[in-house]
Amino acid sequence: MKLGIISVAHMHAYSYANAIGKLAGVQLVGVADEDEARGKEAAEKWGVPFYHDYRELLAADVDAVIITSENAKHHEHTVAAAKAGKHILCEKPLATTLAAAQEMIEICREQGVILQTAFPVRFHPAVVRAKQLVEQGKVGRIMAIRGTNRGQNPGGWFVDPAKSGGGAVIDHTVHVVDLMRWFMGVEVREVYAEVDSKFSPTPIDDCGILTMEFENGVFATLDCSWSRNKTFPVWGDVTMEIIGTEGTISLDAFSQKLDVYSNDKGLKWVNWGDDMDSQLVSDFVASVREKKAPSVTGEDGMRAVEVALAAYQSAESKQPVVIR
Amino acid sequence: MHHVLVIGAGTMGTVHAKSYAAMKNVELVGIVDLRGERGRELAAETNTQWFASYDEAMEKLERVDIIDVCLPTYLHKTYVQKAADAGKHVICEKPLARSKEEAQSIVDYCHEKNVKLFVGHVLRFFPEYEKSRQLVNDGTIGNVGVARTFRGGIFPTAWNDWYADYKNSGGLVLDMIIHDFDFLRWCFGDVERVYAKSLLGRGFARIDYALVTLRFKSGMIAHVEGSWAHEGFSMKMELAGSEGIIQYDSAKEKPLIAVNRAKQAGMGGVAVPESPLRENPYFRELKHFIDCIENDLQPRVTVEDAVKAVEIARAALESIETGKPVTLV
Repeated sequence: MKLGIISVAHMHAYSYANAIGKLAGVQLVGVADEDEARGKEAAEKWGVPFYHDYRELLAADVDAVIITSENAKHHEHTVAAAKAGKHILCEKPLATTLAAAQEMIEICREQGVILQTAFPVRFHPAVVRAKQLVEQGKVGRIMAIRGTNRGQNPGGWFVDPAKSGGGAVIDHTVHVVDLMRWFMGVEVREVYAEVDSKFSPTPIDDCGILTMEFENGVFATLDCSWSRNKTFPVWGDVTMEIIGTEGTISLDAFSQKLDVYSNDKGLKWVNWGDDMDSQLVSDFVASVREKKAPSVTGEDGMRAVEVALAAYQSAESKQPVVIR
Repeated sequence: MHHVLVIGAGTMGTVHAKSYAAMKNVELVGIVDLRGERGRELAAETNTQWFASYDEAMEKLERVDIIDVCLPTYLHKTYVQKAADAGKHVICEKPLARSKEEAQSIVDYCHEKNVKLFVGHVLRFFPEYEKSRQLVNDGTIGNVGVARTFRGGIFPTAWNDWYADYKNSGGLVLDMIIHDFDFLRWCFGDVERVYAKSLLGRGFARIDYALVTLRFKSGMIAHVEGSWAHEGFSMKMELAGSEGIIQYDSAKEKPLIAVNRAKQAGMGGVAVPESPLRENPYFRELKHFIDCIENDLQPRVTVEDAVKAVEIARAALESIETGKPVTLV
């Protein structure tokens, strides 16, 4: 199978390329990027042809593409790839507007190509195990969930709303909202959020606390702040505290780590857990090969974006926003 | 020598009585509790006398200077007023009252009767919290953008199961995480807006869990988590600032752990962790209040602070009930 990468704007392009390299029978055949320096550097590193125009990559002999462009360009790239008959693994957030997400999903359906949203956290073994425990009824009925997905401010285009669609809220709401939806199989009904700009030199939303009500009567909060500073031992976190009638589950996805104290960097965490990005790519490749529905759909990506957009709306109006 | 009468021999009354018993400038003159067995036991332990009622104690005791009210919240008003009527200074457990109005009326009453009133927001005397505030004030982590706290354990069991009666206790939000509301206000000033969710009214008995978002006038955002749905008490705090982060987790900071070797194969030994200090936070708090009485000083926790803490908790409860954010005036 031949895979291409459209844009290396998002740093995950590197770990996805790395994952492709480890898979048998799968080949990375090219990378496209409108930023020549950025794209060429990646192409050289991976030893693949560079295309200045993604349309040239789509015209080449490629079965599927990974789209790791700036959030606002996911729509254009997905639509073009779908029309060229390529299967798509698209970086999260799926889109910056609901209309764009909807259109991406529809075109992929019409063209008969797979659209998978890149939610790698679903493939983390501790997350998979937590879902299993929930399904086995270990905590009884879920009553509430407390989540965090904090990180460092990634800077660059992430802090340019025209390219990113927003800051921490759109960047860091989607992963854990996706997990909550996935664990319970229900949608978010209502969102309230306090959002602000507190850590960055640029005026972009970099902290937020979302409160959600789900259709099944479960309430949850999520801290999506870019509140990790330079010297914090790790770039970010994914945590969930699940409160059930029979017990609780505490999930800390980055807790398989060594504490490393170097004279250079002080304390840093070095992860020894499984690589989720590899699992994500391998799952996508399997779906393409077996021509089956993707395990994480475009719809999943859209539902998570919907919550982030509702959070912005709530922060603006200082009132809860009803989604459904 | 300050003559102190402790009313209530529950969890907090026990901690307070033991603290007074260890103070050189205090004479613990009695323990009041309607449960004779519990009252006698604590009185024996702290080398004082037990009284079955407040009136009996006041009648029989030659001298009382300070009355420490460690009763269920709904009884605070009655007993603080009785103490004030008798012209005694009062130390009262938190929360001061079930509503802002009730709290204010207690404050006004003590003011009229010209007695001092102190409220036991003891978190301000926990050295880890005190030190965190100091670091923030010193600018160690820059401007704090997001604060997160956790406080929780199992559903509390007490006399008459009064915690389970929401009207009398205010539940988890008024009784437990009011500690964090007060601490955050101490560090970051007044709260502007409150939004909260909890299990209240969702049909679950003897279990509670609350997630509260506070927006401070300074713009800071705080997330306060409270639980009566966990096993084993713990408290956590994180202050994330523009220049750094402070984290604390009581479950991780245990300088001492004693473990009994399992006597039977397959049975785990029980680990008992401790974090000993020369003076525990309750002792430090009460010593400070006594010092304020002795030297006519402004306490670290003022009566206004106590009223404001109740106001925030009440706003959270209102938000839980209405599903709307509540703006404080």
